[in-house]
Amino acid sequence: MVVSFKDSLKLIGILVVSFCAVFVCTFFLNFYLDAVKIENLITEQTRALYDAQLATAKFTCAISGGFLAAIAVVMLVFYIKLYIDSHLKQIGILKAMGYSNGKIASRFWVFGFSVFLGTVLGFAAGFAAMPLIYKSLTIDGLPHIEIGFHIVLPIVLIALPTVVFSAISCGYAYFALSRPVSSMLRGELRLKPEKSKKTKADNKKRPFLVEMGFKTLGGKKSLAFFVAFACFCYSAMVQMGCSMEDLSTETMGIMILVIGVVLAIVSLFMALTSLIKANVKNIAIMRAFGYSMKECALSVLLCYVPFALIGFAMGTVYQFGLLSVMVNVVYKDVASVPDYGFNVPVFFITLASFIILYVAAMLFYTYKMSKISVKEVMAEN
Amino acid sequence: MIKAQEIYKSFKGGAVQVLKGVSLEIADGDFAVILGASGSGKSTLMSVLSGLERPDSGTVVCGSQDITAMTDKQLTAFRRDKVGFIFQQYYLLSHLSVENNVKLGADLAGNKNYCEIIEQVGLKEKLKNKPAELSGGEQQRVCIARALAKKPEILFLDEPTGALDEKTGREVLDYISRLKRECGFTMIMVTHNENIAQMANTVIRMNSGEITEVYTNKTPKTAYEIGW
Repeated sequence: MVVSFKDSLKLIGILVVSFCAVFVCTFFLNFYLDAVKIENLITEQTRALYDAQLATAKFTCAISGGFLAAIAVVMLVFYIKLYIDSHLKQIGILKAMGYSNGKIASRFWVFGFSVFLGTVLGFAAGFAAMPLIYKSLTIDGLPHIEIGFHIVLPIVLIALPTVVFSAISCGYAYFALSRPVSSMLRGELRLKPEKSKKTKADNKKRPFLVEMGFKTLGGKKSLAFFVAFACFCYSAMVQMGCSMEDLSTETMGIMILVIGVVLAIVSLFMALTSLIKANVKNIAIMRAFGYSMKECALSVLLCYVPFALIGFAMGTVYQFGLLSVMVNVVYKDVASVPDYGFNVPVFFITLASFIILYVAAMLFYTYKMSKISVKEVMAEN
Repeated sequence: MIKAQEIYKSFKGGAVQVLKGVSLEIADGDFAVILGASGSGKSTLMSVLSGLERPDSGTVVCGSQDITAMTDKQLTAFRRDKVGFIFQQYYLLSHLSVENNVKLGADLAGNKNYCEIIEQVGLKEKLKNKPAELSGGEQQRVCIARALAKKPEILFLDEPTGALDEKTGREVLDYISRLKRECGFTMIMVTHNENIAQMANTVIRMNSGEITEVYTNKTPKTAYEIGW
C-alpha cells in the first residue's frame, strides 16, 4: 500500500545506529555472562579487578546501548514524520477512499525491518569480533574466559528491539495520521496553519538571508538535534578512542573511534539531506530570483553551526566525564590503573579534523544544492 | 530588446523535443504574451528567455548580453539584476511572513522601501501574516510585490491567474498592467488563455514547440474588457 520494505531500507541512519548499539552490547553482555560463570575461580587478590571488569561491561552496555536506543527512537519518529509529510496526498487519498487510520498505520510496522537488519548485522559482527574483544577485555591475572553462546542475547538484542520498534512505528504513525483528510489532500503539513506571532524579533529589520536562516532553523528544530548529535558522537568517541590507550587496548580505541566516525557521518548525512529536501523549493525560488549558490547554502546551513559546536563541546565533556568515572569510581580499588587527565593535544587534533569534516560536508551540500534544477522543481507542481 | 534565435531545447536526453528552432524579438517596454496550449513549449521558452534553463542550441540576447554564453555565475547575476518572476503556483516561502517574502526580492536590489510596494498591493495589514493565512488572490499579490520589489527590467509571468477565480484574476491582471504602465518594465506573460492575450501589445502563438503566429494588438484591452 503506502509503505514498502524498500522504504524501510532507506532508514540507513536507524540501521547504522541499531548496528552500533547491538555490536557493542553483544560482546559486552556476552563477556559479562561468560565472566559470571567463572566467579568461583576468582581469588581474593583478583576480586577487585574482576568486579571492575563486570562493572565496566554493565556500565558500557547501559550507557552506549541505552543512549543509542534512545537516539534510534528519535530517528524513527523523525523518519516517520518526514515520510508522512512527503506522502501526505497519497495517504489522504487512501483515507478518502475509506481506509482507517489503524489500517494505514499498521503498514508502518515495516519500518521495524531496518532495526531488524541493523541488529542482526550488529549481532553477527559483535560475535565475529568477539575473540579479539575478549583478548582486549581480559586483564592479566584473571582466569581465561571462554566464549559461549547465550540464547537470551538474540532475543534481547534482535527480537525485542524489532518488535518494540515496529510497535513504536505503528503507534506514532497512527498518531500522526489523526488529521482531517481534506488537509492531507491539500498537502497541509500542519494541522492548524501556523499563526503569525508578533515577536520582538519581527520588529528587527533583519536582512532576508538572516531571516531565512532563523526561520529555517525554527521550522526544523529536530534537525538541529541530529546535527548536534553527529558532532557529539564525533567529538566524544574520537577523543575517547584516542585518549584511552593507557586504559585499554589499541583495538578497543580503534573500535570506539570507528563507531564514532560512522555514527557522526550517518547522522550528519541524514540531517543535512533532510534539510536540503525540505528546502528544495525555497532554494529553487531563491536561485530563480538571482541569489548565488553561496548565499542559498549559507542561509540554509549556517544556522546549524552553533548546534554543531554545542554538540562538539558536550561530546568533549561527556568523554572526559565518562573516562574519569571509569578510572576514579569503577577501577578505584584496582591497583596499577594509570592516572587519567584531559588530553589537550587530542582535543585540538579532534577539533581541527572536525572543522575540516564539517566544512567538507557544507561544501558537499552546497554542490548538491547547485544540482537542483529550478525548472524541474517548478514543473513538479 | 530580447532577441532569441533558433532556440532548440529537448528533455530526457533528446527524446522529448520541446522547442524546435524558436526565434523571436521582444522590444523594451513591450507587453508580450506567449500563447499556447498545454505542452506547446511556452513555459520552457519562458525559462530559456529568463535564464532559468539553457537551450541545447541557439542564442538569447538580452540588451547587449548573450545570456546563452554566460556562466552559471553570470546567469545568476543576470537574474538578480534584470529579471523578476511571478508564477502560477506562487512559490511563496511558507515559513516566512508576507514582509519577509517580499524582502526576498527587495534585498537583492537593495530596496529599503519594499513596504510601500506591499502597501500598493493592498497587503499593509497582513505584513506579518504567513502565506497560509492569505487567500489565493492575496498570495498572488505577495508574488507581485516580491517580483517588483527587486525592480526588474523584465518581468516574466507564468500563468499568473491560472489558480485564481475570475474576479480575483481580473484584479490581479489589472494591477499588473497598471504597474507595468507606471514602471515601464518589459513584461512577458505565458498563458493558454486567449482572452488574456487581448491585453498584450504583442502576441506570440506557439504550437508543438514552434511559433506559429506573431501579431500586434493595436488597441490592447484592459483586464475588465476582456472575456474570461
